Amino acid sequence: MNVRSTYLKVRNHRVWGPVVRFLADNSVILAFVAMVIVATILAGDSFMSQANIINILRTVSIIGIISLGMTLIIISGGIDLSVGSALVLVGAAGIWVMNETGSIPLGMLTMLVGGAGVGFINGTIITRGRVTPFIATLGVMATCRSLSLYLLNGGGISANLPAYWAISNGDILGISYPVFYFILLTALVLLFSQRTPLGRYIYSIGSNEKASHLSAINVNRVKVITYMIGGAMVAVAAMVETSRLNSVSAASSGQGYELDAIAAVIIGGTRMSGGKGTVVGTFFGVLILGVLNNMLTLMGVSPFVTGTVKGIIIIVSVLVQKKE
Amino acid sequence: MQETILAMQGISKSFVGQYALKGVDFTLEEGEIHALIGENGAGKTTLMNILGGVLAPDDGRIFLTGRPVSIPTPAASKRLGIGFVHQELNLVNDLRVYENFFLGAELRGGLGLLDIESMCARTREVLALLDVDIDPRALVGTLDASYKQVVEIGRALHQQVKILIMDEPTTSLTGHEISHLFAVMKSLSQHGVAVIFISHKLKEVLSVCDRYTVLRDGHVAATGQVAGTGVTEEDLARLMVGRAMAVEQFFVPRPLGPVVLQAEHLGSAGSFHDVSFSLRRGEVLGFTGLVGDGRTELFESIFGSRRYEGTIRVNGAVRRLTHPEKALAVGIGLAPKNRKENALIRDFSVLANTTIARLSHFLRGPFLDFRRERARAQEHVVNLSIKVSDVGMPITSLSGGNQQKVVLAKWIEAGSRIMILDNPTQGIDVGAKAEIYRLIARLAAEGTSIVILSSEVPEILKVCDRVAVMYHGVIAAVLERAEATEESIMLYATGARKDASA
Repeated sequence: MNVRSTYLKVRNHRVWGPVVRFLADNSVILAFVAMVIVATILAGDSFMSQANIINILRTVSIIGIISLGMTLIIISGGIDLSVGSALVLVGAAGIWVMNETGSIPLGMLTMLVGGAGVGFINGTIITRGRVTPFIATLGVMATCRSLSLYLLNGGGISANLPAYWAISNGDILGISYPVFYFILLTALVLLFSQRTPLGRYIYSIGSNEKASHLSAINVNRVKVITYMIGGAMVAVAAMVETSRLNSVSAASSGQGYELDAIAAVIIGGTRMSGGKGTVVGTFFGVLILGVLNNMLTLMGVSPFVTGTVKGIIIIVSVLVQKKE
Repeated sequence: MQETILAMQGISKSFVGQYALKGVDFTLEEGEIHALIGENGAGKTTLMNILGGVLAPDDGRIFLTGRPVSIPTPAASKRLGIGFVHQELNLVNDLRVYENFFLGAELRGGLGLLDIESMCARTREVLALLDVDIDPRALVGTLDASYKQVVEIGRALHQQVKILIMDEPTTSLTGHEISHLFAVMKSLSQHGVAVIFISHKLKEVLSVCDRYTVLRDGHVAATGQVAGTGVTEEDLARLMVGRAMAVEQFFVPRPLGPVVLQAEHLGSAGSFHDVSFSLRRGEVLGFTGLVGDGRTELFESIFGSRRYEGTIRVNGAVRRLTHPEKALAVGIGLAPKNRKENALIRDFSVLANTTIARLSHFLRGPFLDFRRERARAQEHVVNLSIKVSDVGMPITSLSGGNQQKVVLAKWIEAGSRIMILDNPTQGIDVGAKAEIYRLIARLAAEGTSIVILSSEVPEILKVCDRVAVMYHGVIAAVLERAEATEESIMLYATGARKDASA
């Protein structure tokens, strides 16, 4: 009787089997629980307070929304480095339209179209131009940042419509709006990825692009759409961010968002080469990163060290995946 | 008298409680060519992996020239003079021949720089031994399949092997390449190297081997001499499956329908040109030829996956097939060769692999109806007798034959009326092959038109109504079933004869 056979026995158990199988497939949930326990022990009551937990959720929601699109892109076998700088460009464009026209919906529509447009450009360079996703989105990343700096003269832009502020700054039962947006979008993307043909194709292409093509799937079209969805998520994140701060800065907004989003996706168990992963995993990956940041802050650890801990967590989570 | 160079005694190995090998004895004489045959899963690869140091046996002893040895690692196996030529070529295409030879063990001269001259000279010596003329500085990627195989063998030989294991070396080779390889094997055996030859092709075994050992379900079913014993292919096949195999006839004479697919002067630069043929409803049309004859590329074009010139008519209407999507829309499906790379979504279940080409069948509003999808996949499993306990199982857990049936189920579900099957029985064992042939015959009888691409002529002859033979990118002849024999086909395939009327 060894560990493995015991495990197999439990795994096939009538009652516990489904629970064990679910956790084995979603080990990120176990990691999240472990993380919360560690944080509770190390940071105590200041961590486990209602206000703090709501605070964590609020801070992760923007990266969280971006990570949802990033999950689909990585599952399709790609990557998107342009999310952070696209957020700035799209956000700035939206605020400018808003200020010029006095219409909030028009401004938001601009962001949405702009975000999807950046995604369209990413996807088109990758599929028509046969450029690897890393390079294509690296180029778009640099371009978006540079255009933002140029158009905003290196500064920022503020919205002069007070009502816009209300989109991100408000709460229901003490939970701020962005958290609801994040949870709602997670549910939507989950439904999309699991229950629609397009979602199935994204997984299929990431798993075996050649076989997908030879199964009569229009691989290029699906890829472009995937990047457009990613871009649309960036646009929603831009709305939340610009309305929360009522402004956007060409130089500092969105810095490092691509790395945080990719980290959340990877910690969430999505395979870097595509074909495998879930939005649920990413959701918990985002929370793990949030709890980690929060815990270190509460413990008074220098914010400069946070990156080191984050780095270690990313590498460990990938090592664990390799084992599986 | 020859000396026993290798003796494996009472070798057992189990995986997760299941025996892969159970008390297997295997001996090898100096300089003999010894066939190791058996169905997939009989334990051939496991046994050879033990000899190659890839796996450790649970039980049993190994003697080399009478001395007991242990082979814990592939490196140890190499040191003992055992060379392993794997089924898949393990060559780096972007490196030169000599670089592949010395990969990881490069010769160095002064200053620790690479001694390219010596490496080339040594490579040339070994290749001369194999009686082939390959430039040591040639890029491996530019070589023909048979030359690659020879380079692979040469690489094993240049470290002084006494035993050479060849795992299905002929699967990617064509007729004359195979005979060349056999000549090499004979010459090796004359130099005292013992060759273990793993193959599914019993005809080859009888033509080149001195002795055979048949494995069945992890034990030795039989072993014996080839020469002078009058052992036949049927004998070996019976030993492999453990029962008498009726020589099954899959072809059923039947009336054919109207022309459904017509190709007129199709061409694609560098692959095929001026190809015209037609396919009738319910017909099974074979396409054969040597490697590089262009048949795979031709049907990639017809499936919309490669640019072409010329005209394709489907049910009389001219169609421009620029993407597989469009091919499927007019009812064309393709089961490509190299199933693992080209046809299977490895992370998907049997179910998802079955439905992937026609998910629109399972839509309720914008969403997939999982229950209907599962029920449909289950129907295909029953209908094609796919062996799987649950359609939710990963596709990778199935045997090659069952995987291929899933690929066929995918196109049946997609509603293909014209199915192109490229090398449909690749890597499939004897029993499962028969099932695939029966399935092809059944589909044809139900009115599906089928094109089979294969370099194995006997396979083509089992089910086809007509056979198109390709040579250098053109159709050399289209033979009616009655006039198609292995001999007549080879004449056209090698370019020895050309039929202008084709």
